[in-house]
Amino acid sequence: MRDLKTLARYPFLSEAKEYVKTLNVSVDELLLDLTYEKARIFGVERVENAVQKKNVGERRLLSEADYLAEILSYPVARMIVVCVDDAYFLRKYALGESVHAYLNLRNESADFLAAVGGDIGLSVKVDGDRLYVHFIDYIRYAPTRYRDWKMVNRPLKNGYIVVSRRDFARLLQECLRRRIVEELEERSCSETVQDAFPEELGRFRNMAAMQRKRFEAQPVGRISVTKLPPCMKDILASMQAGENIPHMGRFAFVAFLNALGVNSGEILKLFSTAPDYDEERTRYQVEHVTGRISSTKYAPPGCEKMRTYGLCPRDKMDDICKRVKNPVVYYRLKSKEMRKK
Amino acid sequence: MEDNSILFLKKRFARYYRNEKIELPERFGKREFAFMPFGAKMMRRHLAFSKRSSFISFIQRMTPAHAYYSSAFYQKPDAPTMDEKEWMGAELIFDLDLDHLKGAEGISYEEGLKLVKEEFRKLVEEFLLDDFGFSKNKLLLYFSGGRGYHCHVVDPKVFKLSSSERREIVDYITGADLDEETLFRKRVVEKTKVKGRMLPSVSRLEIPRPSEPGWRGRVGRGLIALLKEVTSEGNNIEHLKRYGINRKDIERLKKELTKERMLRIAEDGVIDQSPFIRRFFLKAAIQKAAISSMAGETDEPVTCDIKRLIRLPSSLHGKTGFKVCRIKIDELEGFEPLRDAIVFSDEKVEVDVAAPLKIRMMEESFNLRKGKQRVPEYLAVFLVARRMAKVI
Ligand code: SF4
Repeated sequence: MRDLKTLARYPFLSEAKEYVKTLNVSVDELLLDLTYEKARIFGVERVENAVQKKNVGERRLLSEADYLAEILSYPVARMIVVCVDDAYFLRKYALGESVHAYLNLRNESADFLAAVGGDIGLSVKVDGDRLYVHFIDYIRYAPTRYRDWKMVNRPLKNGYIVVSRRDFARLLQECLRRRIVEELEERSCSETVQDAFPEELGRFRNMAAMQRKRFEAQPVGRISVTKLPPCMKDILASMQAGENIPHMGRFAFVAFLNALGVNSGEILKLFSTAPDYDEERTRYQVEHVTGRISSTKYAPPGCEKMRTYGLCPRDKMDDICKRVKNPVVYYRLKSKEMRKK
Repeated sequence: MEDNSILFLKKRFARYYRNEKIELPERFGKREFAFMPFGAKMMRRHLAFSKRSSFISFIQRMTPAHAYYSSAFYQKPDAPTMDEKEWMGAELIFDLDLDHLKGAEGISYEEGLKLVKEEFRKLVEEFLLDDFGFSKNKLLLYFSGGRGYHCHVVDPKVFKLSSSERREIVDYITGADLDEETLFRKRVVEKTKVKGRMLPSVSRLEIPRPSEPGWRGRVGRGLIALLKEVTSEGNNIEHLKRYGINRKDIERLKKELTKERMLRIAEDGVIDQSPFIRRFFLKAAIQKAAISSMAGETDEPVTCDIKRLIRLPSSLHGKTGFKVCRIKIDELEGFEPLRDAIVFSDEKVEVDVAAPLKIRMMEESFNLRKGKQRVPEYLAVFLVARRMAKVI
């Protein structure tokens, strides 16, 4: 078995889970017994840090008992997040956990990274210090919206891409993030958790609600959210939920807003609430689409293209949708109609 | 199309569908089928067949002008809307088409098909086999029966790829977003001491080695080939026009690309002569190596569409009468669409040709004049289907 210190650093590993099992601690004990007070304090801190600092953070661990508390704080944090019961909050937490893992994984050996990959579902071949990832896994987990991550700029051969340890750690981050989101979305809140953290849960729910409100009340530049076509409303909603928007969705959204005269700065503000916001790179992307740093200004995609990309929610299409061929025209028509009324 | 032309084609197609064993795609029960009847304007969509025999009797009864199936598998392939169908996965499709080939304006159908075939070979060998590492038996190659070639990747690994993940594959194949800094790497060749510390003072931009994997090697090879072309033709850079370089730039290149500079690129692998030269070579090397004839509506390649209908293998193309036929990878080189995709006989049929025309089919050259004449059945079907002749 790996040492406790390692498990404390990566409490999501199945080995950590196995270890906890051998301790024979019941959920009730973990949540109520005085012995585990520290684990509970750490757990709350994990959640708090994830939401406020995008990283569950490091705690000072001085003894075996501290390592144990740190390992146990992971399941505690997860139970709390499930009970907050907010999609956006959940995603922020998952990101905070995975970023924390990434920062530590960057310094691990290739073999260790491969073992972590095998554990969470990202297989890799190791040859010395080189890691070979299959391109299907690569495009699934790599942030290909950034140029240097695009597959075209990577050495692909026989189906495999060689990546550095650091880059592989980044792929692990995304893999872990999705895994946590999927796992937690399936769980439901248990009453014991509710009783154990009444004050904290109230506070977290408040935070989630405020985030939401701030987002909804804010008009996008001069654009009013109520006049957005269903497709753009959906993209905005996913952004609010803290979901990663695929490249084409981001592109369509930026080009749409740009066509309606929203400036780059205002668009950027919108993206800043996304969970993996990276100011500099997002600015580059946005300004690329709006034509500020490239010679071409991209036209917003029409409905046909939106459909091709699965971005047009057919079940939500309304009467105006049937009359237009481009979401931008939808917005203008809708504005006109609302003025008439 | 006139009624008797339709009747003529329909009769021939019916005979084909009666005698030919139509191969059905894997898991055909989970696919949507669609047909375009002769003379109709609307496609019949959302059909599904659970048994081979019911499919066969359907197609024999209808004798469609065009037959399609979905690259996707669905839980309920015959449901009327996409959402109700419940998508389960889809093959990865590449569709190369003469209409999307750059620089093919004004060339003949036969010539054009040759060019597309060459691109198609490049796609299959250099990208799908070498780079993506698909195994040969997971690639199904087809002549589309019309103006291009299709490749279906039937490796289960790709079935679940989302549309944007497929886009990443397309970007790779078209060389979109290649990063100059990744390609031409800076190497420090001299250092000077500044206040006791060694700092780089001279650095060079190096071209990638041809043996490197992925696009670096591809650009490296392209660059060297280009240089050879330029030097072997006595520094004649006129023909570089075919790589999308305009007159003005060629003139400038003539001035800037001196012998010494060329040698330096070829022998030292260094390309920091001028940003202009660098940009030129990069652009030309990408042009040379990338696949450009990927088809799709409004510039969106078919590959990204995960709910696409495509021509059914071994069905007939209603605008040519050619068979959508499977090509074994090792036989791609020798494949001749205007011979190997022909299914009709050479029995003579009388037709009225609208305008004079030259074409080579079944290894025979036809020089047709305007007006009535007797031609082999396969040519008659082709001409009538393309509305270049009428039946009498
Ligand atoms: S029809 Fe057009 S405007 Fe309406 S939701 Fe679809 S893409 Fe958007």
